Parts: sequence; C-alpha cells; structure tokens
Amino acid sequence: MYQAIVDFHSANPHLVKVLIAGTLVSLVCGVIGCFIVLRRMAFLGDALSHAMLAGVVVGYLVMKLVTGQEAHALAMLLGSIVAALITVVMIGFISRVSRIKEDSAIGIMYTGVFAVGGLLASLFADKIHIDLVHFVTGNVLVVRDSDLWMMAWVAVIVISVVLLFFRHLQLVSFDPVMAASLGIPVLLFDYVLTTCTALVVVSGVTIVGVILVVGLLVIPASTAYLLCDRLSRMLVVSALLGVSSFLLGYWFSEAINVAPGSAVVLAGCVQFLIVLVIAPRYGLIADWLRRRQAVPQQVVEDILGSLLRANEPNVHVGSVAKYVVGGHSRIRRALATLDRQGLLRLSGDTISLTPAGEKEGQRLMRAHRLWETYLEHVGTPADELHDRAHQLEHVHDEATLDYLDDKLGHPLRDPHGAEIPQDVVHVVPGAVISAAQLRQGTHATVEEAGPAAAARGLAPGMHIIAGPRVADDTLWTFELPSGQRVELDHHTTDEITVRLADKPDDNPADQPRSASS
Amino acid sequence: MITRNANGATSTAGSGNGAREIAIAVEHLTVSYGPTPALLDVNLQIPAGLLVGVIGPNGSGKSTLIKAILGFVRADFGEVKLFGEPAEKAKGRVAYVPQRGSVDWDFPITVQEVALMGRYGQRRWWQDRTHADYAAADAALEMVRMSEFRHRQIGQLSGGQQQRVFMARAMAQGADILLLDEPFAGVDAATERAILDVLERTRAAGKTLVVVHHDLATAAEYFDRIVLLKQRLFAFGPPERVLKPELLAEVYEGKLRAFMDLAE
Ligand SMILES: Nc1ncnc2c1ncn2[C@@H]1O[C@H](COP(=O)(O)OP(=O)(O)O)[C@@H](O)[C@H]1O
Ligand SMILES: [Mg+2]
Repeated sequence: MYQAIVDFHSANPHLVKVLIAGTLVSLVCGVIGCFIVLRRMAFLGDALSHAMLAGVVVGYLVMKLVTGQEAHALAMLLGSIVAALITVVMIGFISRVSRIKEDSAIGIMYTGVFAVGGLLASLFADKIHIDLVHFVTGNVLVVRDSDLWMMAWVAVIVISVVLLFFRHLQLVSFDPVMAASLGIPVLLFDYVLTTCTALVVVSGVTIVGVILVVGLLVIPASTAYLLCDRLSRMLVVSALLGVSSFLLGYWFSEAINVAPGSAVVLAGCVQFLIVLVIAPRYGLIADWLRRRQAVPQQVVEDILGSLLRANEPNVHVGSVAKYVVGGHSRIRRALATLDRQGLLRLSGDTISLTPAGEKEGQRLMRAHRLWETYLEHVGTPADELHDRAHQLEHVHDEATLDYLDDKLGHPLRDPHGAEIPQDVVHVVPGAVISAAQLRQGTHATVEEAGPAAAARGLAPGMHIIAGPRVADDTLWTFELPSGQRVELDHHTTDEITVRLADKPDDNPADQPRSASS
Repeated sequence: MITRNANGATSTAGSGNGAREIAIAVEHLTVSYGPTPALLDVNLQIPAGLLVGVIGPNGSGKSTLIKAILGFVRADFGEVKLFGEPAEKAKGRVAYVPQRGSVDWDFPITVQEVALMGRYGQRRWWQDRTHADYAAADAALEMVRMSEFRHRQIGQLSGGQQQRVFMARAMAQGADILLLDEPFAGVDAATERAILDVLERTRAAGKTLVVVHHDLATAAEYFDRIVLLKQRLFAFGPPERVLKPELLAEVYEGKLRAFMDLAE
C-alpha cells in the first residue's frame, strides 16, 4: 500500500499535491460551513473572501519591503485574517451606530475593502506579482509547497478548535443566552468562528477563487443539514461531502479539461440537488410521500365523527366506509395513518377509538358545528352553509374556536339541531374556566363572581351545579348549595370563573406535531 | 409614587416568614439597546424559594430583565446579585428556559442533547461527558415525561413537548434559580397544568423560579409574588397587592395614551 503511494507520487508528484490540497481545503470548508449555515452567516463568507484581497496585497507588500521576500505565504495569510476581522468589526459597527441594516453594511464593507485591495494591487503592480485572475477564479493546479503547508496548518487549527470546543460552539450557536449564563464568552466564540471562517476562506480561495469559495462553505454543509439531526454527525457528513465534491469535480475537470474550481462547486451542487430530492426525512420525495399519506381533514373528521356517533367499542370497517367519501383503499390508508397517530386502534376489520381519538373527534366536530352556527348567524343562505363550513373548518385553532363560541353565546346546538360537543381542550379536570362553558349537570366551585352574579347569591368557594339552559338557550341556570335555582344572562355568567373538580391521575395527552407541518 | 409604595410593601411581605435569603437582588438596573432604555432603574429583591411571575405588556422589558439576570445583556448601570454575590461569581446557578419564538427549532439537535446541555457547566472544557451526565439528563427527561422522545430532533415535537424539553434542561442543570420566558405561551390547558405542576414541584424542592407570564387572569393563582414591569418596576409583591385595577390600568393603558398623544 505504502509502496503504491510512493510509486504513484514519484510517477506523478503534482497530482498528489493537488489531491492533498483539495482534500484538506474541502474538508475544513465542510466543517466550518456547518456553523455558517446554522448561524445564517453565508453572506459573511462572501464578505470575508472579498476582504481578503486587501489583506493579501498588504501582507505581500510588507514582507517584500521589509525582508525582500516575494509572496510570503504566512504574511499574506495573516494579512487576510486581519482584513477579514476588520471587515467584520466594521459591519457590526455600522449596523449598530446607524440605521443601515446588516445586509447593506456587509455589501458596503466587502466591496469597499475589495476595492482597496484592487487599488493597492494596481498601484504597486511593479512590486507585487499576484495573479489577479487566479485570485478571482482560483487554480488548484498551481498549488505551491508553501500553500500546501498553509492549508495543513489551517486544517489542524480549525479541526482542533472544533473538536476541543465542540460543546461551546454548539451552545453558543444554539442558545447564546444560556451560554452567557454559564460564563462562556459568547462574543469571543463569535470571533473564534469568524477567524476560523477567515482561515478556511483563505485556503479555499487558492483552489476555487474568491467568487466560488462561498459554495465550498455552504453547499456541503447545506446538503448535510438535509441529512442529519445532530450537529456532530452533520459536521462529519458535511466534511465527507466536501471531499467527495472535490474529488468528483476534479476528476471531471481533468476528463473534459475545464477549470477545476467551477467543476468542484458544480459537483457540490449536483450532490445537493440529489440529496434534496432523496433525503430520507427532509427531502422532496419524503415530503411528497408524507403529503400523500396525510389524510385530508375531511376524511379524518368523517372517520372520527362516524366512530363517535357509533358510540361502541368495536366498529366494523364497512360501517365507517358508508359515511366517508373516497375509495376503499383511501379509507384503509387513512385508518392506518390514524392508527399510527394513536387516534384509533385497527385490528383486522374492527376499529375502536382511543381516548385521544375521541378527544380529537369531538374537537373537530365542535369546530365544524361552531362554524355552521356562525355562518347561519351572519346570514349565509342555508344551501351554502355546508360548503362554506367545509372551507372554514380547517381553521380550528383554540383561539378562533373560543372567539366563535363566546360570540355566539356558547350555543348548544348547530343550525341542523345537532349537539355541539363541549370544549374538550379547556374543560379538563382541575381547570379554571368561565361558568358559561359549563354544561348541564357539571359540578364546579366558584372562584370569582362579578358584581351582578354576587347580587344573585353566588360567592367564591361556593359549590354549584349547572342546570339546563332556558329561554332559547340564552339564560344559564345554576343550582346553589341552598337548593335555590338562579337564572343568569350571558354577560353575568361570563363574569363567573369556576374551578372544575380535580381528577387524581389526569395525564395530559398531547400529540406530536406531524413532521410535515 | 406607586413604585415606592409597592417596594415598601415588599419589605414587609418578606418579614412574615422570618429572614428568607434573597436569591436575586437587582439594584438600579438600567439596560438599553438604543436611545430609550428597555429597563430603567429597576430595583428588586426576590426571596429564595418563591414562584415569581413577571407581567407587563409587549415590549415592556420582561425578556430583557431575564437576560440581564443571566448576564447576556450588559447593564448600562446597576447590577445583579445572586445569593448576595455578584452575578459573575454565580455562573451556572441560574438555568434558563427560552421563549419559544427565540429558539431555532430546525437546529440539528436531539431532545437528549438539549437535556445534556444542562450539564455543560459541570465539566471543564477538556473533559468528556460521563455516565453521571447521561443519568442526570435522563432523570430530568423522565421527570417531565419526555424520555420516550429522547432521540427525536426538537422540531418534531408538539409545542407543549418542546417546552418540557427545555424544562428538563433546566432540571438537569440543578440550578438554584430558574428563569422561564413565557413557558405557557401557545400550549393547551392540559399542558399548561402539567408545566405548572413541574414548576410547583421545583419550588417545593427549594428552588427560586422567575416566570414571564402574559395571562393576567391566571397570574394570581399561579404565583407567590408578582413583578409588574413596564420599563420601570411598577410594583412587586403578593398578587393581591399588585393586581389592582388602578395599577394595571396605568401599566396597560399607558400605551394607548402615548399613542393618542402622537395622533394629536
Ligand atoms: N436585541 C435587541 N435589539 C434592540 N432592541 C431590542 C432588543 N431586544 C429587545 N429590544 C427592545 O427592548 C424593549 C423590551 O423588549 P423585551 O425585553 O423583549 O420585552 P418583552 O419581553 O416584555 O416583550 C422593546 O422595545 C424591544 O423592541
Ligand atoms: Mg419577551
């Protein structure tokens, strides 16, 4: 093996150099790119690469004038980092002290510093021999030994920082407030990341040039972002994708003899597009499958509704199908999905609702019937009622339903005379609710009573039982401990808050949000 | 004037149960992001072992107060002391549960990794995680009943579950002071009760909790003391002394009045 490498090297010394350089650079770009992507700093990578020109020129000039050395790699590297940091500090400064927003500040600073570099380069054109074309487009084929050393050092430094301070970088990126509370210097780590970015940008420019270096940073990292649910894995996957895009791109550029920089970035894009389509969780196909599996609201409601109405533990699939629009296979698929979501249990041909399914069914039925009642209330013609309610019923967040319920005077029946189920989200054991939400037969303890209610004999701490609604459901009746019955209007009842009895083992079931939402 | 009254009320309130240690002392705190301060000369002494609610309209500086106690925003003036020491010396004794809207829910991180963050303060930077860290994180997840989701990415949870993950992180940290920014926002009634239950159990364990809250209706029921804030401290004390109509009108209507001044 070793011998093979040595033979290969002596046969083709330059190719080995190119491969080492490209691998090192694309690897560290992949690693640092993860932080760039997660912290939404892609534009910063761009700014740093442009600022570099000024740094490179100044570093070159200083060494040339002081020691007479041409193209001193370390001086140019230091110059680039200093220029990059100055740019970052200036961007922050401008957006802090003026009304200029950060994106414009970035645009101003990086073109400005780039222009300074260009100006210096042409002013001292006789003293410095920088190939501006290479600087802009990069060229891995002219990698010198000094460049290679620089890249190796950058890789060692960057990877050490990320390994040693992984937890700090993770916490500072994810929750800077907590990081500060643990005494982690958030601002220092921001600059550490910026410096690392400057370092990898400097080494990346040699390969793909100023314009494409951002691609090396963000493309593999974004690809990995679609594949990983942990930062540690994302770093590894991104580094591997970076290297593979370099190898693919380089091989391709040799094969058809085009500029390697463009080919490398293009290979990264191709990898990204493939992953975008096929990524197991966050890809387009997965998304499409999820959407196809997602059961339409209408079908969920029909299924849960018919099971609720059947009101018995084991219902045959056939008797549900009667009430549900859609073919047999579609209903089967919907049932399987609802089973996975824990809303019902499907065994063979019999279905039974779980407690969570019962709750969800009542909630959806309540939404539909409240909307129908509302539509009738605002004067929608009877023949449009049903269709319009279907358009609206997917709006069933709790705040909306509360609003409708209160505005309509907490109706008990919809326009067709069907009962509107009780609010199963707020009306839970131990909850404090408005007395207007109590249905007939419910026991509760008064927490607070408004003046009008107090005048009728209600007082905090009193145990009351809700009686039937009277006068077209517009008056509430309550039985007081004395056995006396009071009739109250909507407003007075709303001013009474009551606490429902605690049930000892109440275990709130909340459903995970489906991944597609 | 009301401010002074309310502060006066505090000192008498504390004396009832002997000398409780002061967990958080905020002294002459002024914080600004621009020309107008977000907090102006706030003075506050929160006794240990209490469940304290912070209320005030949007933009009144509630989150800023939390961030100042955590040392995330720098004070223009004044200081924060935790258990009598300058806040910098008490690093890690304060745990934080962020506002839901300020978390990047797409961040590649799992439930268990978030809980483990609670243990970062216990390790030097070169030390690796130990079994004790994993055990503490798992116990905290167990306490908020989130163990079965430990390998889920945090975006794939319901709102209430997401809130409980950050509660677990605070538990794993074993901090003496917990700061929670709107933990009840956007969760249903059952989840709200479950979260409240965890808060009450934490208080029973002797911790001090400061909770930003937006629902005036439940504030009196949930909290031992209430901080009424709008840039300045308007009142601090037991609910019955703070939730008075004239005080609330001043804090919540002030915005309307300022708006009308502009319109004239
Ligand atoms: N990072 C920030 N930069 C500039 N202004 C801010 C920042 N954070 C908060 N503010 C301002 O400070 C004031 C208080 O904000 P905040 O503490 O978030 O209020 P609350 O949490 O009570 O809604 C608001 O006017 C808000 O616009
Ligand atoms: Mg806030």
